[in-house]
Amino acid sequence: MAKRYVGSLLIGILIGGTVAVVIGWGLWPAENTNSPLQDLDSAYQEEYTIMIAEGYLYDRDVNGALARLQPLNKADIFAFIQQLTERFISQSNIPAITPMVALAEAIGRLTPAMEIYRSTPVSTLAFGN
Amino acid sequence: MSTERSEHHRTEHLRPERQRPERQRQDRHIRRSGSGISWFALILGIGIGIAAGLIYTWEIDPVIDPQVAPHQLGAEGREDYVVAVALSYAHNRDLNLAFDRLRALRPDQNVWQMVADMACNRENTGKMVTNADIRVLRAMVDLYYPQGARNCADDWGTPPAPLIVIPTQTPANTPTPSLTPPSTKTPTPPIPTNTPIQSTQATATPRAGGYTLSRLQSFCNPDASGVVEVRVYDTRGQGVAGVKVQAVWRGNLSDTFYTGLKPEREAGYADFAMTSGVSYTILIPNLVSDPPVVDAVVCDTTDDGEVILMSYWVNFEQRLN
Repeated sequence: MAKRYVGSLLIGILIGGTVAVVIGWGLWPAENTNSPLQDLDSAYQEEYTIMIAEGYLYDRDVNGALARLQPLNKADIFAFIQQLTERFISQSNIPAITPMVALAEAIGRLTPAMEIYRSTPVSTLAFGN
Repeated sequence: MSTERSEHHRTEHLRPERQRPERQRQDRHIRRSGSGISWFALILGIGIGIAAGLIYTWEIDPVIDPQVAPHQLGAEGREDYVVAVALSYAHNRDLNLAFDRLRALRPDQNVWQMVADMACNRENTGKMVTNADIRVLRAMVDLYYPQGARNCADDWGTPPAPLIVIPTQTPANTPTPSLTPPSTKTPTPPIPTNTPIQSTQATATPRAGGYTLSRLQSFCNPDASGVVEVRVYDTRGQGVAGVKVQAVWRGNLSDTFYTGLKPEREAGYADFAMTSGVSYTILIPNLVSDPPVVDAVVCDTTDDGEVILMSYWVNFEQRLN
C-alpha cells in the first residue's frame, strides 16, 4: 500500500515538474522587471543613444551625454557612437544622423562619412560645473 | 441412485476448488486495472511537481530574456530613460514621439505624471548639484507641465519669455482749472510746470549697438552666497554705469537694479541676491543675445551646516554696429 502511494506520488511529481519546466522556461517565462539599461534590446539601446545625442544638441554637455550613456556598459562607448553614427548614415536614418554626428564630433570621432552632416557649430558658453 | 449421489457429492466437493483460481484471477485483474496507482498520490504529486517546478523556473533560475524592453527596466533604468526622453523632447519638441517613448515604459499612471513624479524625486533626493542637473530637471518640467501634470518640481520650468514693456509717453499732468481759492495772507507759490524727468535708462541706452552676453560662469563662495554679479561693458571694455538690470523669476515676478551704484567695485557693476531654489532670467535693455538664466542651487555647506548657494558672474558687452 505505501509502496503504491509513494510510487504514484513520484510519478506525479515527475509529470508536474515536466509541465512546470515547459511553462516556466518555454511557454510563459518569468518577465524580468528590474533590468538595467545594458540589458535593453539593441534596438532600444540605439533609440536611447539617439535620445542622448538629441539631448546633447539641447544642452551641448558632452560630459553629461557620455555619463548618460555609461549605463549601457559598452566596452568602448566612443567606438559604439562612431559605429552607430556610420550605420545610421548608411541606412539613411535621417532624423538620427544630425544629432549622432554632432555627438560623434564632440567626442572627436568625426569621420569623412560624417563630414557633410555636420551642423553649423554653435558657440558655447563656459559653465563652471 | 447411489452412483448419482456420489457424483453429486463429488461435484459439490470439487466446485470450490475450481472456482478459487477464477476468483483470484478476477481479483488480480481488478487490482491491476485500478488500484495499481493511487490517484490521490498522483494528483498530489503533480501539484507538488508543478509548484516546485514553477518556483525553480520563475524564481530560482529564470530564463534571462536577452531582449529587454523599456517596461522591464528597473527604477534606475527607467529614470535614465525618462531623462533621455525629456532631453530629446527639449531638442526636437516632438510631443507625440515623446509620448510614444514614455508609453513604452508601461507606467501604471499617466505618463506625464510619471515624469512629474520622477522630477520631484530628483529634486528631493538632491540630484541638483550641477548646471547640467538643472537643465535636465528643466527639460523634464517643460515636458510634463504643459500636459497638466503637477508636482513639487514645477517651479524649475523654463521661465516664459519675459514681456518687454515699452513705456509709453505719459502726458504731462496739466493742472485742471479749479475755483480760485480765497485769498490768504501768504502768497500761494506758483504752480510748477511739469517738466519731463530725465530717466536713468536714457543715459544707459547704448549708442553703439546691442549688448551680448560675454560671460556666464558660476562660482561657489561662502562669502558671496547666491549672488549674481552683473558687469556691463561698452565696446571699449569700459564699465557702463546706470544700466537698468532686471531679474525675472517665475514668469511674472521681477526686481530691478542698476549698475554703477557700487563704484568701489567697478563702474559697470551691480549685484543681486537670489533666493534658494529659484531660477532667474537676467535682462538688460538692448540685449541681442539670449538672456542668461541662473539658478539659486545649493553648492556647498559650511562647517556650521549653513548652506551656500551658487553664485554667478554675468557679463554683458556692447557690440559694435
